[in-house]
Amino acid sequence: MKLNIGYFYKDQLNLYGDNGNVEILQYRAEKRGIPVDVKQIGINTTSDQMAVLNINMIFMGGGPDSGQKEMYEDLISSKKNFLMDYINRGGVGLFICGSYQLLGKYYQTADGSLLEGLGIFDFYTKHFGNHKPRCIGNAVCEISPRILSDPLFLKINGLGGNLVGFENHGGRTYLNKDNKYAPLAKVLSGYGNNGEDGTEGVLFKNCLGSYLHGPILSKNPHLADYLIAKALKLEDLPPLDDTLITLAHTACIKLKK
Amino acid sequence: MWLIFTLLAKLITWSVKLTGKGSGYTFPGYLILKIYPNILKRVTYEKGIILISGTNGKTTTTKLITHLITKSGCSVTTNSSGSNLLRGIVTSVLLDTNILGKPRGDYGVFEVDEFNLPVVLSQVTPKVLLLLNLSRDQLDRYGETDIIFEKWKDALSTLKSDALLIADLDQKEFKELPGNFKGKISWFDSASRLLHHTKLLGEFNAKNINAAILALENLGYDKDKLITLLPSFTHAYGRGEFIEKDGKKYQIYLAKNPASFNHNLDLFLLGHLDSTNLVFVLNDNQPDGRDVSWIYDIDREKLAKVCESKRVYVSGTRYLDMAVRLHYAGIIVNEYNIGGDLSNILSKPEGHHITVLPNYSAMLETREILMGRKIL
Repeated sequence: MKLNIGYFYKDQLNLYGDNGNVEILQYRAEKRGIPVDVKQIGINTTSDQMAVLNINMIFMGGGPDSGQKEMYEDLISSKKNFLMDYINRGGVGLFICGSYQLLGKYYQTADGSLLEGLGIFDFYTKHFGNHKPRCIGNAVCEISPRILSDPLFLKINGLGGNLVGFENHGGRTYLNKDNKYAPLAKVLSGYGNNGEDGTEGVLFKNCLGSYLHGPILSKNPHLADYLIAKALKLEDLPPLDDTLITLAHTACIKLKK
Repeated sequence: MWLIFTLLAKLITWSVKLTGKGSGYTFPGYLILKIYPNILKRVTYEKGIILISGTNGKTTTTKLITHLITKSGCSVTTNSSGSNLLRGIVTSVLLDTNILGKPRGDYGVFEVDEFNLPVVLSQVTPKVLLLLNLSRDQLDRYGETDIIFEKWKDALSTLKSDALLIADLDQKEFKELPGNFKGKISWFDSASRLLHHTKLLGEFNAKNINAAILALENLGYDKDKLITLLPSFTHAYGRGEFIEKDGKKYQIYLAKNPASFNHNLDLFLLGHLDSTNLVFVLNDNQPDGRDVSWIYDIDREKLAKVCESKRVYVSGTRYLDMAVRLHYAGIIVNEYNIGGDLSNILSKPEGHHITVLPNYSAMLETREILMGRKIL
């Protein structure tokens, strides 16, 4: 048993601390005696190379415009098939901010042009222009009932039903309303996907997309453990000493928006 | 009118200081800009204006240039308080005037916030502009460095060709500067030859020193003479500064973003710092940015190595976030050594040498606790 993390586009998508998610997954797995291998998937990695890495966890972050421009073509041309297949077969993945947006149908820029996404997740994202303020601030959300009622989550959750983080995005994401289990969480405080409908992130099979930085896993250890257990098809995980993290999570719930 | 502004500025600063409501380096400029938004357009200094901008090193480099010029016999008006938005520069200009309201310095030497550089350049024509570096800082307020750099390039293209640009050779984006600026560009590097003449440490300070010397050489100063003035330069506040309190010696190294934090860790790894007590202070107040995610961009291995066999203390408004970051770097954090009460945490270490790594507002608070004042 080994956690093989496919870390996509580290050089291009490395916005503010999101790489911490990989560190945290590694830390929490290794503390349980589970070996971890972090495999860098970059612009030069071919689908043949990816196929033999036995990836059971994907992480992809967000990047500055320049970074996203650099990797976009490669994502569409040489990673799309792998990702579609991986996600549709139930592979576990965490996609934050920019990469979350790229997995939707399209991204509409402020001047109206459309940037095609991978179309794996059922949503689109729109940037309304600079007259509409960016969604910036501390956020608190309630995790989707689909996860909260999952027996695996009930077993490993020592923290409660909330997620805390910090969001900072200009694009606003709109999920397909017909699918009521689509959001990752319900916004309790903050903007979430668009500041309008109270949804945050997306949940599709075993993949999560989210706008939460912090990084997201730093103060949401229940989510980190859920991903690890899912990835390794475990029925439980031995608890860790999360005293500090629990205090930090609780303190974040009280932060001003 | 001008005289009235200078008197008004002095009066406001004086009353702000008297009431103890702040340092008084920002508010006068803020108020006067409301009445006269283009006030800096009419400010000139006999020998010219030198501006210093970038993410890290502004305060130290500004202080160093000021030191070298004044020791060489000229006078300088500067914003040594580090109040580096338009309003701070306006305040510094107005305060340093004679009784008739005439600016006193031969030179104006001002540090400029990197995000505010374009607006400052729309009013001020510098003789020399130093661009030290550009890295991520306060993403929630300033946005990506790409965006800041685009704005810099637009602003630089409006400068006249008799201005001189001093820029970092190693910053890869700066290679685009020649295409956006008509005048001469001189490049500084990270060679450490001059660093050894100062009390300062680290590659980042080597760059600051090289930048300052290069700027003054270009203004006709003799390099060998400047080098003789380097040993008498002392740290800018909060940037390697020593403060003694209750028999303990605290050394403060501002660590406000991933780049400056990692630089400070390097000082330990290179053996320049050896205290066994380490205090991290992380705030999320307005001048810091409210997003503390950047602490995961601190190099985990360096952090773990530096904290090895040291007593670690954590404070600040976001002390729990910092404690968790240390925890995930594999550092054992003792719950009794962390807390939001900074004064209590600062008094905890038992050893004589204590290194404090605070972010911006945390640095000011640390100084206030240890020496009774935030800035100068």
